[in-house]
Amino acid sequence: MMKSLFSAELLKIVKQSKTYYALGAIILIELLILLIAYYQGSTVLDLLLESLKQSFYFEGSLLNGNLIMYIVLNSLWFNVPLILMIITSGFLTDEYKDGTLQSVMLQAVKKKQFILVKYAMAILFTILVITFMMLTTFAFAYAIFGKGDLIVYINTLNFFESGDAFRRICFSFISGAIAMIFYNVTSMTLAILIKDSSKTWLVSALFLVITNLLLKVDFGNASFNNLFFPKLIDTWQQLFVYELDWTRIIGNNFLLILYSLLMVLIGTYIFNKKDIG
Amino acid sequence: MLIGKNLSKSYRSKIALDNVSIQVAPGEICGLLGRNGAGKTTLFKILTGLIRADSGEIILQSPRSKSIGAIIERPGLYNYLNAYDNLKIFAGIQGAKADPDSIRDYLLKVGLPTDRKDPVGNFSLGMKQRLGIAIALVNNPGCLILDEPFSGLDPFGVASLIDLILSLAQYEKIAILLSSHLMGELSRCCHSLYIMDNGKIVNSGTTKHLISKYIYSYSILANNIESSEVLKKYQTVFGVNEVKVVCNSGEITGLLNELLSEGVQVTACIPDLTLEQLIKGTL
Repeated sequence: MMKSLFSAELLKIVKQSKTYYALGAIILIELLILLIAYYQGSTVLDLLLESLKQSFYFEGSLLNGNLIMYIVLNSLWFNVPLILMIITSGFLTDEYKDGTLQSVMLQAVKKKQFILVKYAMAILFTILVITFMMLTTFAFAYAIFGKGDLIVYINTLNFFESGDAFRRICFSFISGAIAMIFYNVTSMTLAILIKDSSKTWLVSALFLVITNLLLKVDFGNASFNNLFFPKLIDTWQQLFVYELDWTRIIGNNFLLILYSLLMVLIGTYIFNKKDIG
Repeated sequence: MLIGKNLSKSYRSKIALDNVSIQVAPGEICGLLGRNGAGKTTLFKILTGLIRADSGEIILQSPRSKSIGAIIERPGLYNYLNAYDNLKIFAGIQGAKADPDSIRDYLLKVGLPTDRKDPVGNFSLGMKQRLGIAIALVNNPGCLILDEPFSGLDPFGVASLIDLILSLAQYEKIAILLSSHLMGELSRCCHSLYIMDNGKIVNSGTTKHLISKYIYSYSILANNIESSEVLKKYQTVFGVNEVKVVCNSGEITGLLNELLSEGVQVTACIPDLTLEQLIKGTL
């Protein structure tokens, strides 16, 4: 049964135009970043790093593929999760709107299995989109700007050699994907609660904004500051601190996975309890 | 056999169903008549398990692998997919055959073309209803529930859907329960009727019995009827093409015979049975 439900969901995603709009939006964001970097990036970087260039030697141009990928990674703050939350919550809200959820439930399908497959698809879709984003960024950025050392400002200026930068970017995409999965399972749970698509989008966007705001807040309690979910969503940024704290990075990602599982459990429980229609 | 016993459902603001009992036998077509908001859809949702009743019991006696197939409110279809993919999805998720030949059979059963590859969003409402029925019939259910199946259909669509419903009951021995707020359609195809009002069953019986018991007027279409002397004995209202005659079912045969002997050429005689008459009949 689960396999058939999974195949059905896969067919829906492949045939839905929304899927391609999402991928198109990701490509558009990447292209815009590339265009701006191509025409204005060198000037801005030269101004910022003029004094440093007199004291240090940088391998290749600082406006390189690695920097572009880092800039694209920054769209994980807001643009990409917003697009993903709209699409994945639509996996369920569209079924409510079109009456197909009712049709599915009339076919002796178990509610729990159905919603768990929806969550699984939301996770798979997120992984696929982030992989797509990573691969296309690599292709565009390296083809146009080539390789080179990466300079990133997090508390202080951090310099990474080209190979090290590439490795850190790859891990960042993985960590970022875990944060995106958290956002997406949350949007699916919101869709279960709200049912209506536009209201779900609004609440999802609000959740995203509030999470980003809370990220900067000091709650005055070390444990709370370390464990509360808004404090974990920027873990991918920790990979651009020179001295890597792997315990913190792995711990934070593990916690985010636990939060995501909690969201799935809450959503499944509510969906199972609620009447359809 | 589908049996609903003493079903009740309340919401914060109103009682949606109040001790409703209903029964449909294999091969029987049963109609549920009621105004909008009478509780028909709530009853169907309870019978199909979409919502839980506060009290009561549902008994589904069927040796078939799927006990019930249904369309509630409207056929819920994936409008961006074609008919083939819709059937493939709905057949697949319930473990029914979803190979091309089986899907072709499902389509042919409800009289849908097998060569249309465009999304069902382009289909007419009648075709969507048929596809909805095809989906409901996947896995050969013992009972079929159709909520307002004639709503929005043109007369050709209604006639064609009635033929399909009749053949499913007659040849496949499916117990069929359908609802409408329109008396005409249900009286044409239902063996028995339940009348609902304010969440209660207020009247029930065989369609023939209800028509003969509660009919108070007929619309007669005929040439030269204006000159009839017989009609003067009855209360009449002359319309553009018809005459509404107030008489009961016991009088109509005699009236028609008298009209014919007067030389009036009767072309149609339609009973004017309304939902209000059936509801008022027992209130």
